[in-house]
Amino acid sequence: MEQALIEARELSRVYKKDDSAGVAALKGVSLEILKGEFVALVGASGSGKSTLMNLLGCLDRPTTGSVILDGKEVSGLDEDALAEVRNRKVGFVFQSFNLLPRTSALENVELPLLYTDRSDLRGPAREALEVVGFPAERFNHHPGELSGGQQQRVAIARALVNDPEILFADEPTGNLDSSSSEEIMALFTELNRRGRTVVLVTHDAKVARHAGRVLTMQDGQIVSDEANAAGNNTSQASNDPGADRQTPSPNAENQA
Amino acid sequence: MKKEHMIGQALRGLNRNRLRTFFMMAGIMVGITVLTVVLSAGMGARERIMERVRVFGLENLMVWAGGPTDQVRLGQGTGGTPGVQVTTTLKIEDAQAIADEIRGARAIAPFARRGDSEASWRDRSYTTPVFGVTPEWRDVWDWPLDRGSFITDHDNQSMSRVAAIGPTVVRELFGSEDPMGQMIQVNGVPFEVAGIMGVKGTSAGGGDMDARVFVPLVTYMRRVANVDYLSGIRVQVRDLRDMEAVAADINALLRERHNLAPGEPADFRITTPTEITAMVEEMQGTFNLFLIVVAGIALVVGGVVVANIMLVSVSERRKEIGLRRAVGAKPRDIRGQFLMESTGVTLLGGIAGIGLGIVGNLVTKWLTGTPVLLTWQVLAAGVLFSTAVGVVAGLHPARRAAAMAPVDALRS
Repeated sequence: MEQALIEARELSRVYKKDDSAGVAALKGVSLEILKGEFVALVGASGSGKSTLMNLLGCLDRPTTGSVILDGKEVSGLDEDALAEVRNRKVGFVFQSFNLLPRTSALENVELPLLYTDRSDLRGPAREALEVVGFPAERFNHHPGELSGGQQQRVAIARALVNDPEILFADEPTGNLDSSSSEEIMALFTELNRRGRTVVLVTHDAKVARHAGRVLTMQDGQIVSDEANAAGNNTSQASNDPGADRQTPSPNAENQA
Repeated sequence: MKKEHMIGQALRGLNRNRLRTFFMMAGIMVGITVLTVVLSAGMGARERIMERVRVFGLENLMVWAGGPTDQVRLGQGTGGTPGVQVTTTLKIEDAQAIADEIRGARAIAPFARRGDSEASWRDRSYTTPVFGVTPEWRDVWDWPLDRGSFITDHDNQSMSRVAAIGPTVVRELFGSEDPMGQMIQVNGVPFEVAGIMGVKGTSAGGGDMDARVFVPLVTYMRRVANVDYLSGIRVQVRDLRDMEAVAADINALLRERHNLAPGEPADFRITTPTEITAMVEEMQGTFNLFLIVVAGIALVVGGVVVANIMLVSVSERRKEIGLRRAVGAKPRDIRGQFLMESTGVTLLGGIAGIGLGIVGNLVTKWLTGTPVLLTWQVLAAGVLFSTAVGVVAGLHPARRAAAMAPVDALRS
């Protein structure tokens, strides 16, 4: 069987508050995501979907369990090595865009390039903005002068500029109106179609529908793992696209 | 991360919040301005001291009547306290003995002066130092003569009543009239103006060396002051390197001549240029130290301001820090960014402070007439101190920023 691009083994994350026992946001989650998949993590707020995404994207460390990216165990890496993984392997898109204020679109996209040893930042940044369909005449505009949809395009370009294999998006349409949301989801779909693995956190069923696989979370566990025929999936190893039924994956069965 | 990108990021970070940057700069700017003004004034004062020492003459020493313990002594130049000389033991024969016995001495110029005297011409009068001197006086002081002749040996032998006067005296007594050949009164004794001195400038003590009346030593002692003792003897040494040895020889000679027992306090003092330099520098040093402490306090306060604002800046920019970490910044990149910002802001503040300090120098010079000297050391000190303050002030905020966990920083 093909090796998974992202693999989680018995991940748990406990948030400690001072001297209390702590809150378990994630309770022993295991999953595999293959290269080229478009996965949506859905669930109510507090279900642990963002926590899971942060762990998979190396933004946070699990309390127990391990994350394996592209066959490489990353949970034990030091801060510098994790920073390099975040820089090269993954790209993040956030709900609130997280663009630097009073900084041009172009410079915002250049940000991840700063932490490489490249000298030319402008070239790849322009390219990334063009890929996401950001209008060239606005390259030097500041976030405050851009619409929400345009800001999110800049943020996606920033996530893509180092050409990472995996794109993580946490409620990327949460701050957008419905037409902008559709455009952004179309962009994610297009990026996935070109081979990029996309992991998207959302509580919006309409958004989740674009994904080829939907993982539903509840109380820190994955309660269902469904293939979505109408959604997108570039992966060869995805669940049978013809199946109309919802088929829980072996991982989900473990959780149940 | 590349160095040039790091600097660019720091400058952009500072540019993004100009008001904050300005406040941080202002504190350092004040400190560096004070530092620049103080150091320039110090350098200027030092230069002036050296100039005075040059005027005093590097190859000369001075024997003063009156020991270190004598209460009233003759003022040094006119900068000291003009008092009535009470020590009567330094004689013209002592000067002769030095000339005869001290081989390292090239020229010996004994002189007498009793405080300031009143010189008058017609209805004008001017109170000024009057010196009884010998021809050697001009040699040991390298004193220029403008017109006529200075005091001669013949004037002393014949106890002539002739005078050579300085340009300030000429101006005060004669205005635009020609003083040559005119009769002036010094303490009621008439003297004929035989010579006019050239411009000599300011003395080591700060006095106007052009306000001088010179008359023959013997005439002065017998007819004006009615004394039989000298105020001092100026000695020019043959070789600068022998200065201290000659001083020691003269000391031994005079102690012997004055029958001083070993350990008995001397009734004369010998000053050398080194001693004068040391004395004035010690005085200046205390003053400079005080001002440098003031500048230091200003810099510390500026540093505390920078450290505080940087801390606020770090917590305000949690999201930015989290984002940078999320896109691949290592803790050391974050630390470097904030350190670079704090150092950049203090360096800019320092450069602005140096600029303001130069303006301050001009104002100081204009207001007080104190000489200021802006040297490369002053500029280097400004740059060095402002950078150091930036590094020290930024250390803790930068460390705190680097320690933030990316996911925590992003959540806020």
